[in-house]
Amino acid sequence: MRRVFADRLAFATGVIVILMLILFALSRVAG
Amino acid sequence: MQLLYSLRGAVWILVYLLFILAPLFALLAGSHPPTRDFWTEFSVALGYSGLAMMGLQFGLTARFRYVTEPWGEDVIYHFHRQISLIAVGLVITHPLILVAVKPELLAPSNMLEAPLSAHLALLSIFSVIALVVTALWRAALNLKYETWHLTHIVLAVVAITAGVVHMVGSSFYLVDPWKQSLWIGLTIFWIGLLLYVRIVKPLFMLRRPYRVSEVRQERGDTTTLVMQPDGHPGFHFNPGQFGWLMVWGSPFKITGHPFSFSSSAAAKGGRVEMSIRNLGDFTKEIQRVPVGKRVYLDGPYGAFTIGNPADMHVLIAGGVGVTPMMSMIRTLADRGDKRPVILLYGSKDRESITFCEELEVLKARLDLTVVHVLANPPAGWTGEQGFINAEMFKRHLPPPYSDHEYFICGPGVMMDAIEKALGEMGVPMAKYHSERYSFV
Repeated sequence: MRRVFADRLAFATGVIVILMLILFALSRVAG
Repeated sequence: MQLLYSLRGAVWILVYLLFILAPLFALLAGSHPPTRDFWTEFSVALGYSGLAMMGLQFGLTARFRYVTEPWGEDVIYHFHRQISLIAVGLVITHPLILVAVKPELLAPSNMLEAPLSAHLALLSIFSVIALVVTALWRAALNLKYETWHLTHIVLAVVAITAGVVHMVGSSFYLVDPWKQSLWIGLTIFWIGLLLYVRIVKPLFMLRRPYRVSEVRQERGDTTTLVMQPDGHPGFHFNPGQFGWLMVWGSPFKITGHPFSFSSSAAAKGGRVEMSIRNLGDFTKEIQRVPVGKRVYLDGPYGAFTIGNPADMHVLIAGGVGVTPMMSMIRTLADRGDKRPVILLYGSKDRESITFCEELEVLKARLDLTVVHVLANPPAGWTGEQGFINAEMFKRHLPPPYSDHEYFICGPGVMMDAIEKALGEMGVPMAKYHSERYSFV
């Protein structure tokens, strides 16, 4: 379960990072 | 204490995200290059943050005790492994999107006339692919741990250096000198983390060597190294924790291996013991270590240690997984701690039960029950046989099962099965702790 916890932590971090990258690209396009 | 650890854990996650995202969003400040389409901008952001995540991997494996304490080293290493897959995914998707948006980038004329920074991008991508392949399939590729470890570091340094030079060379976003300085500074910080692990820490260990004072053969093809600090007071550890042992060569060599301490945490004079089973690799050399040999220890690490004194402690060990449990049991005996302890101990056969006799002696000093589970029991064996399972818990543990605290250490397959069984028995995750042999 500790590995499952680490899996979830990594997955959540990945999701946050990708959302922020989309925000970055959108803010660039929006000027 | 648990709340403090959770808070510290949350703070480190925020710091981690800040280190990945802040340098990217800093690019939005100052002067801006011309805006391009969404996918091109998104692709470039993937490259920047993928590189930042890869660089920060050096921090995850730098063994900063203050950072790793809230989770334990096993969770950090597993996170390192999983987050690296995401980072590599980002780095590889970066050129794929660029090529999808501009297919002409693949035209032979463009490929031939591509600037150096584009070649470095390719070098970086091939290095990260090689990193992942060698990490995921090390055993299948028959790579020795030491060879793989060195290759891993070299590939990581090549991937990051080539990636950063590619980024600075392309310099689309890094028009302002301060932005260039920010990313170059960040790279120096990542490499600094690596130098800390490979140079600063070994220097510190060089000044704090240990001397092997006894080499003891145990049942089950296991050797115990008894080590005394040489010219320093040693360190204090909690029972169940582990350290990195360097036996052959200096601490600068990549020869460190993690082992649990098997001795009592209450031992005098900084003495520590590690009990190591011959598994056919590096471990087969341990029985040949001469008394008096100088060795180096980096530790203690890990969050696997005795818990609430009011709870019954259920220690579940498979094979040499008994070593951290032995440290817990010996420590409780030395402290005169009479909390109820049950050790469910799986072994191949009766001859391979490491610490068998000592456990019998320790029963007199503790409220300790030992349940041996043999995979190959001898004729006339009336005890448990086969592999440790949920039925055995029900036979030997008083309900309610969720009131006890569980500690599991053994082969991965056994640990997966036991964690699953405990979950099915309604034991919450906070009530059980696992220690795995292998990080990679």
